[in-house]
Amino acid sequence: MRDGQKGALAVEVDGVVKNFGRLRALDGVQLRVRRGEVFGLLGPNGSGKTTLIRCLVGLVVPDAGIVTVLGRRLPDLGVLSRVGYMTQAAALYPDLSVQENLRFFAAISGGHHGVDEALALVDLADRRDSVVATLSGGMRTRTSLACALVHRPELLLLDEPTVGVDPQLRAQLWDRFREMTGGGTTIVVSSHVMDEAARCDRLGLIRAGHLLAEGTVTELLARASTDSLEDAFLKLSEGES
Amino acid sequence: MKAQRVLAITRRLLQQFRRDRRTMALLFVLPVLILGLFYFLLRGAGPHPAVGVVDVDQGPLGSAVAGQLEASTTVDASRMDESSAAARLKDGRLAGYVVLPADFSAAASSTGVLRPEIHVEGSQPSQSATVMAAVSQALAGGASATLAAAGATAPRVEPSIAYLYGGPSLDTLDYLGGAFVGLVVFFLVFVITCVAFLRERSQGTLERLMASPLRRGEIVLGYMLGFTLLALVQAAEVLLFALLVLRVHNAGNVLLIFGIETLLALSAVNLGIFLSMFARTEFQAVQFIPLVVVPQVLLSGIIFPVVSEPGWLQAVSNVLPLTYAANGLRDVMLKGADLTWRSVQVDAAVVFAFAALAMVAAAATLRRRVA
Repeated sequence: MRDGQKGALAVEVDGVVKNFGRLRALDGVQLRVRRGEVFGLLGPNGSGKTTLIRCLVGLVVPDAGIVTVLGRRLPDLGVLSRVGYMTQAAALYPDLSVQENLRFFAAISGGHHGVDEALALVDLADRRDSVVATLSGGMRTRTSLACALVHRPELLLLDEPTVGVDPQLRAQLWDRFREMTGGGTTIVVSSHVMDEAARCDRLGLIRAGHLLAEGTVTELLARASTDSLEDAFLKLSEGES
Repeated sequence: MKAQRVLAITRRLLQQFRRDRRTMALLFVLPVLILGLFYFLLRGAGPHPAVGVVDVDQGPLGSAVAGQLEASTTVDASRMDESSAAARLKDGRLAGYVVLPADFSAAASSTGVLRPEIHVEGSQPSQSATVMAAVSQALAGGASATLAAAGATAPRVEPSIAYLYGGPSLDTLDYLGGAFVGLVVFFLVFVITCVAFLRERSQGTLERLMASPLRRGEIVLGYMLGFTLLALVQAAEVLLFALLVLRVHNAGNVLLIFGIETLLALSAVNLGIFLSMFARTEFQAVQFIPLVVVPQVLLSGIIFPVVSEPGWLQAVSNVLPLTYAANGLRDVMLKGADLTWRSVQVDAAVVFAFAALAMVAAAATLRRRVA
């Protein structure tokens, strides 16, 4: 069934506007994410990446525009059981063990029992009984990721998952992301780290609530006629303003 | 030690408070509020206990004593016949009544002994004491006015005292005990729920819950069940301790007491979830304790009877859930009330309605606290 949907869209965002008081966080964002790809949302701090991701799980209700996730127009509580969301900071219950956290998030997302699979994926099977409060920062990040994918979501939203993560673990996490897209999962990942962007299938460059450009790394480099993503980002944002 | 460093800390502290308006309000408004409440509770011009005077004395003494009572400044006495006095004592309109029997004057002059019958409601020791003090003052006053003129010596007073509820052995703990059982549960459950729900937000897990298929009502209901379960264990413990160890007087059904405690715990859980949305930090949540708990302790009739409050303050008392719970618990434990009592039905219904209202409010406001 998943193969049949390949090539279809996992996320469609049309003309989404969101204001926080007088601040316009999203200003008519247009976005397409295809099924089975890793889509990188690239932009500086405060550019609207987190707000956009929170729109995709219904945490932020847009003032205007349409958000469609896995073929369902939001707001739609039901579709959330097919979506995994990893917040910027590791949001876990510190008094529970790794496994207890995973079981809880599995239960509230529809009761799939992918606990063992998720533990193996983040290499924490041997720490399953450790209380989260006693874990290192990197282990908490991995636990948080495991909680986001324990219900085997079709769409995984990762908000800066590798902030504060050492290079070795970062490489390891990206390998995991790749494995998952191989299995048909769509991943939307936000980052302000350029070398990470190069690992994505396609990128969206976002700045001040605008989507400046969208395409593969090669396409974006060609458009800006440069060979560094960092330069491309700067050039494309100049073109905009 | 350097003054500059010490002062840096002091200054920073004051700067922080300047931005925290709520703490400022707590520091400077709440003391006036609480002291003001004490003023109205202790010195306020609330009504005096109502006392009935049944004067069937065939001699002059009864009327003299009745006149003295009517002139009393501590009770509000009026004459009536015995059957209506008994009925009014039962339905709570009288704190007590005194019967001056037909041979009151005759016995006083022949034996030198005054034998009035005093009937008190009995469930409130302080009120009973006020009634009895007023009666003995009136007896002394009436006797000295009447008998001194006749040249007799001061008579002895040997009243017969009847208690509608409880008895002379009822002490202050018996009176407060029932309400305290409710208060302890309400207070602790409220604080713990409020802080726990706030932690859900501050550690970011609430955001995760809101990004899951969970409905708001499911979150509130789940919380409610969990905390209510804990609260019930606590309520049972408190109740058993009060009854078996402290030997607080109980004339009623233990299960009914537990039932009222359960409704109160439900109110506290939902109120805790609802109010946690108005706090951003655990520090602010703790500030709800003096704000929510102290006025309820003072105004819900736990310590000071609601009827002795000024009218406008009674209006406040009458919207507090703890008022009804305390009243219900007291009726059951002191008066042996059961579910057939209209007042117990009303008390239970109001506490339940409050719990339901707080739950709806908690679910309705949940969305705001994530964003």
